[in-house]
Amino acid sequence: MTTVIMRTTARVIVPIVLVVAISLFIEGHNLPGGGFIGGVLTTTAFAIIYMAFGLDFLERGILGRDVDPGKEPSRDRVVVAYRRLFAYGFAIAVASGLAPLLYDQPFLSQTFVILEGIPIYDHLEVASALAFDFGVYCVVVGGLLTILSVVGAE
Amino acid sequence: MSPDQAVIVAAVALPFAAAALTPFVFRILGEETGIVGVLVALSSFALLLTQYGAEGTVALQWIPSLDIALRFYVDGWALLFALLASGIGALVFAYSPAYMHGQSGLVRYYAAMLAFMGSIVGVALASDLIAIFLFWELTSLCSFVLIGFYTADDSSQYAARMAMLITVGGGLFLLVGLLLLSVMAGDVVGPASAFDLAAMLENSDAMQSALRDRGLFVPVMGLLAIGAATKSAQVPLHFWLPNAMAAPTPVSAFLHSATMVKVGVYFVGRVRPMFLGSEWLLLFVTLGLTTMTVCAIMAVAATDIKELLAYSTASHLGLMIAGFGFTSVYGAEAGVFHLFNHALFKAPLFLVAGIIAHETGTRQIDSLGGLRRDLPVTAAITTIVALSMAGIPPFNGFYSKELLYEAAVEASHHHDIGALGRLYPAVAVFGSIFTVLYSLRFLSLFFGDRPDELGPVQSPPLTMLVPPALLALLAAVVSVDPQLAVDAIVQSGLEATAIDPHEMHVGIPTSYSLPVGMSAVTIGVGLAAFPFYGRLNGSIRAISRAVPQIRPNWWYDAIVDGLTDEGRWLADRVHNGLLRTYATWTLSGTCVLALVGFVAAGAIEPAELGVEATLSIALVLLVAATGALAVALSDSHVAGVLTLSILGFMIAIFYILASSPDLALTQLVVETLVLLIFLLVIEEIPESYAIGLRRSIRDVVLSLAVGTTAFVTVLVTTSARPGGSTYIARQFAERAVPEGGGSNIVNVTLVDFRGFDTLGELVVIALAAISILTLIVMRGSGDGGLIDTRAGNELLDNESSDDERLEGGLSEENPLEGGPSGTPPDGGNSDDADTGIEGGDTQ
Repeated sequence: MTTVIMRTTARVIVPIVLVVAISLFIEGHNLPGGGFIGGVLTTTAFAIIYMAFGLDFLERGILGRDVDPGKEPSRDRVVVAYRRLFAYGFAIAVASGLAPLLYDQPFLSQTFVILEGIPIYDHLEVASALAFDFGVYCVVVGGLLTILSVVGAE
Repeated sequence: MSPDQAVIVAAVALPFAAAALTPFVFRILGEETGIVGVLVALSSFALLLTQYGAEGTVALQWIPSLDIALRFYVDGWALLFALLASGIGALVFAYSPAYMHGQSGLVRYYAAMLAFMGSIVGVALASDLIAIFLFWELTSLCSFVLIGFYTADDSSQYAARMAMLITVGGGLFLLVGLLLLSVMAGDVVGPASAFDLAAMLENSDAMQSALRDRGLFVPVMGLLAIGAATKSAQVPLHFWLPNAMAAPTPVSAFLHSATMVKVGVYFVGRVRPMFLGSEWLLLFVTLGLTTMTVCAIMAVAATDIKELLAYSTASHLGLMIAGFGFTSVYGAEAGVFHLFNHALFKAPLFLVAGIIAHETGTRQIDSLGGLRRDLPVTAAITTIVALSMAGIPPFNGFYSKELLYEAAVEASHHHDIGALGRLYPAVAVFGSIFTVLYSLRFLSLFFGDRPDELGPVQSPPLTMLVPPALLALLAAVVSVDPQLAVDAIVQSGLEATAIDPHEMHVGIPTSYSLPVGMSAVTIGVGLAAFPFYGRLNGSIRAISRAVPQIRPNWWYDAIVDGLTDEGRWLADRVHNGLLRTYATWTLSGTCVLALVGFVAAGAIEPAELGVEATLSIALVLLVAATGALAVALSDSHVAGVLTLSILGFMIAIFYILASSPDLALTQLVVETLVLLIFLLVIEEIPESYAIGLRRSIRDVVLSLAVGTTAFVTVLVTTSARPGGSTYIARQFAERAVPEGGGSNIVNVTLVDFRGFDTLGELVVIALAAISILTLIVMRGSGDGGLIDTRAGNELLDNESSDDERLEGGLSEENPLEGGPSGTPPDGGNSDDADTGIEGGDTQ
């Protein structure tokens, strides 16, 4: 599928998809979106890269390493990074759930503050749920990319 | 005086914390890690001792929405048991380094022992039903690790699995009983203390009548009894306990004598005030006396010193259960006092057995004798504790057994139990005669002739001698002045377990009464029969060899082997490595469950199909339906995938039209991703393949069933909705902005209100990723992997059986050699490797 049309299109749309994914993630609390959708969309962007440039592109093109052809897919550097990503994501989600315990609140209880007078935004709401949602995002991205690259490498 | 929360929590938490730190401690101290164990156990002991005389509940918030808390209830009974566990724990830790010298896996040993002690102290103090159950099962888990300590030894693994199966299985019965109890307590003592055992016990009369009103009295009592009986090795579930002697001897001393097996007895004593009645008497006295007699007879048939002690432990547990079974106050006295006495004499006996095995290299009773000259101090210790076990006056075991006799006689006088009134005392005496016999046999290891083949015997190191000596000293003190122990702790234990406690007095009887006569008969017949011990031993063993069905062990093996065969048969059909088999079973199972559920709940009723779809929705659904048909008809994978995504995108548009943008977004994104993944892997899938008629019929039927189920589910769930939005939906809508601070209700629900669900979904995603990784890695290790593994296992099996032959049953590693009942079948676990996936994933 690595046709010229595909590559050219991918170059244009991947950044857009990523930006949309991040904005979906951030504004999830008030508008449609959230960690899960943001994560899946991010994964979609990666999947397009894989489609257009092949699975080894990330390792060779971005990390600048030669791919070791004999290596098992699960030992691949990129896959290791994905695995780490979902492990960290999970840790973040659990930690954000444990944090309320320090304030004598039940596990996973959330709160929010509204900051006034911020430049440009003027009125910014920061919800503690964002941390948990970030954990969700990381687990989704890490988990799906692990599956994608391991299955795709077969 | 009310208990101090910090102290109690520290006493329970300390062993667990130490268990977690064991690997680091072991790196510094090596084999001397036992010293840390001693310190931890002593600290727990000292902390508990400061609570002496306290009574009351302390609670830590745990799951406030369900009113579950980490409650600890302190009273004399709890303290007695917790002090025994930590005190004997300290001595066992002191004993361990010398005994376990040079063995591998010591980190596991010490960590498990510490956690074991912590969980037993936890059971003793916990008063929340959930906490009790958790600590209860923790003791099972820890004992599994400890019994299976010799991982290379088949019999050890067999015994560990057996103990786990029996005690954890019994724990599940207990769980059901506890939950029923909590349902009851919710009505009687109020929902706020529905899990609070202490509150239930305070209202035990109200609880009892409520249970009787609903007809739950006998079921709940039975369930709790099964839990306690498995844990405390009551007949017919006693057989795991003798097998558990595969554990290292210090573990046995701790497990068999002081603690874990007594957890059941302890619990029976704990709930006794709530259930006391004629059913209680009938159930527990019968259970206890049967166990006491059967296990005493089996102990006489033992050929191995640890086996003898293990059976005798089960027998004494029966005595305690029978004691608690008698409804009179004497019964509670017998139970509490014997629990205390038994710990004092059985722990040193096991430690002595460890010394004998360690110094002589054998545990066979027949090849031991005349050890008095080699091990004089040990002989002195044994004399005190063995005579105490036999119940010879004035040793301490005598007093508590006398109380049992009194309770039995009293029950026959004051209760209308018919012939049982005569039978109970008679059985108690009959069982106790065997107790005298095997106690004397154990003692005779130190007296009489020394067999010629017994090699030189060294005296044990001081650290192995002091712990049993201390316990024997305590036993001697209690023997001389039993009232001392009664005043110190037994009386307060009695007050918690009896409903009509009175001032307890114990001493040597000075005038004749029926119980005294019973004791005299017991001891007299025991002494008279002792010369015929060998013949008794032989004939009991001959009977059990001739009729294997009378051994519960035989039943256990038959059932477990049968289940293994069934499991293999099932695995061939359900779990055969073919994706389509899995899909068939999963989908059809789900459909059947859902449909049967609807029918059972009476949810399916002829509802009119109100068609209110707008033109645009109808149009979208029409396209979707066409797409679905096209999927089924498409003849290449690419076309199939593309048409499938038409269906998916149409559903997304449907969501948009039905004003749920979040769902639509998710659907769109997931649809895109799935399409991409399909395109990525599509080259690997074979072009097309022919499938047989049978399989295509099956597929059609399955897809029709799935479609019907989905359709019916949608119909049922939407028609059941009351007019307008539900209470929950309104709540979410109203509370999203003020409490979650977000105007996207879906997201606020996901992260603020139902965060726990989302966390669970994260676990699912992580698990999916991990399992795919594992699958690929496993497949990557070569297609011949399964065959290799099986060959390797056979090799291992052969090696281990060679080892057994070489060891000749002389060492710790193979303790079951020649036992009448504990012999594991060789075929029990050699076929485990055969359950591998066969057939491969060929389409």
